[in-house]
Amino acid sequence: MGVLKKGVSPAAASVETSVSSKVILEPRRKFDYTPDASVFYDIAIIGAGVAGLAAAMYAGRLGLKVLVIGELQGGTITLTKSIENYPGFISVEGGELGRLMENHAKDYDVDILSGRVEKIQLHRGGKKKHFAVLSGDKKFFSKTLIVATGTEVRKLGVPGEKEFENKGVSYCALCDGPLFKGKVIGVVGGSDSAVKEALLLSEYGKKVYIIYRGKAVRPERQNMLRLNEKIKEGKIEVINDTNIVEIKGDAVIGSVVFDREYKGSKEFALGGLFVYIGSLPLNKLVKGLRVKLNDKGEIVINGNSETNIRGLYAAGDITDSEWKQAITGVAEGVKAAYYGYQYVGEGVGVLPLRKAKKKVVKK
Amino acid sequence: MEVKIYTTPTCPWCKKAKAFLKENKVAYKEIDVSNDDAASKEMIKVSGQMSVPVVSVDGTVIIGFDEEKLRKALKL
Repeated sequence: MGVLKKGVSPAAASVETSVSSKVILEPRRKFDYTPDASVFYDIAIIGAGVAGLAAAMYAGRLGLKVLVIGELQGGTITLTKSIENYPGFISVEGGELGRLMENHAKDYDVDILSGRVEKIQLHRGGKKKHFAVLSGDKKFFSKTLIVATGTEVRKLGVPGEKEFENKGVSYCALCDGPLFKGKVIGVVGGSDSAVKEALLLSEYGKKVYIIYRGKAVRPERQNMLRLNEKIKEGKIEVINDTNIVEIKGDAVIGSVVFDREYKGSKEFALGGLFVYIGSLPLNKLVKGLRVKLNDKGEIVINGNSETNIRGLYAAGDITDSEWKQAITGVAEGVKAAYYGYQYVGEGVGVLPLRKAKKKVVKK
Repeated sequence: MEVKIYTTPTCPWCKKAKAFLKENKVAYKEIDVSNDDAASKEMIKVSGQMSVPVVSVDGTVIIGFDEEKLRKALKL
């Protein structure tokens, strides 16, 4: 191997050959993944994002009866174009990483339900307890529960946002970006995610304006370097110290109104607006369970992914861990599975099987 | 029944919508709007939306992946 020449990309070709010969990416065995309401599960996992899927994989390895219920297999990561901070993958599409993690979970005998959980119940009998998970017309029982529900996007909350949602206002550049070819696009936010989305949108739009309320955007170093390149090329421009107070348009978005003048006017013409101003924890399901939440509404966990309720664990973006990445969520997920396994093994905290079974039969 | 689905290759909810149609053995025509300006204009016209997926069932337009509405339109 000689010195790499500029412009030569050896990555793509070499990955394919090495992957096919040394790495297994598809389940080696197939199981019936259909959930069974008559089974008393050891672990029920709410959320099929990377944290939930990692927990399912590990719980499956440990031989537990596992149920995963989630709306979108792979979760939020599937909305990200490229992941470059997951060890072992120099660069991988978010959707592909999610799919591979689902494959990994499916290498074990786990049950997977694609759907929404409406309610979680905690049944107590003295010191013993179990959980019930309600989804559609089904009710599942489990000895332990891992909450990996993640987050939803935070909205701007300004006039016009609702009216023009999906009519120029979007929260997913990867989904809708191609529809904004040749347009002037705004991106709201200053985080690493916001900058990443702006970089992606600059592939489609004529020009991208990052509109940020703070002094300076704060992406990770790699993305800062990329952003600076795009700024030099004139494809991206950053407008700091600015809030959007209104979104205007006709059939679709036409402009936004700033809280200060920019280039002589408060109104700024845009053909699209992508909002990346953070996320809100999806904690509604656990609110009735007396799980300890922090002031952001995130579930408080310890280093073992345990919450204040024994047998109840949380992992991923829903937790109070400050730094949230796929890799940290995955770590929390496998810890939740392992400590759930220990708890199930103790057998002390769980209501007798017979009692739970009777309930299922009754239903 | 004529079923059309407007998609982009990278949109996860498009994949989910297609999987749902396949699962229910519904024949559909997929229109990738990412590289086809005419198709993307057509989608915006029929749906009033700049967002994918959009599913059209004999002219009834369903925005996003909405399983309930899809079932109703497809009489599943």
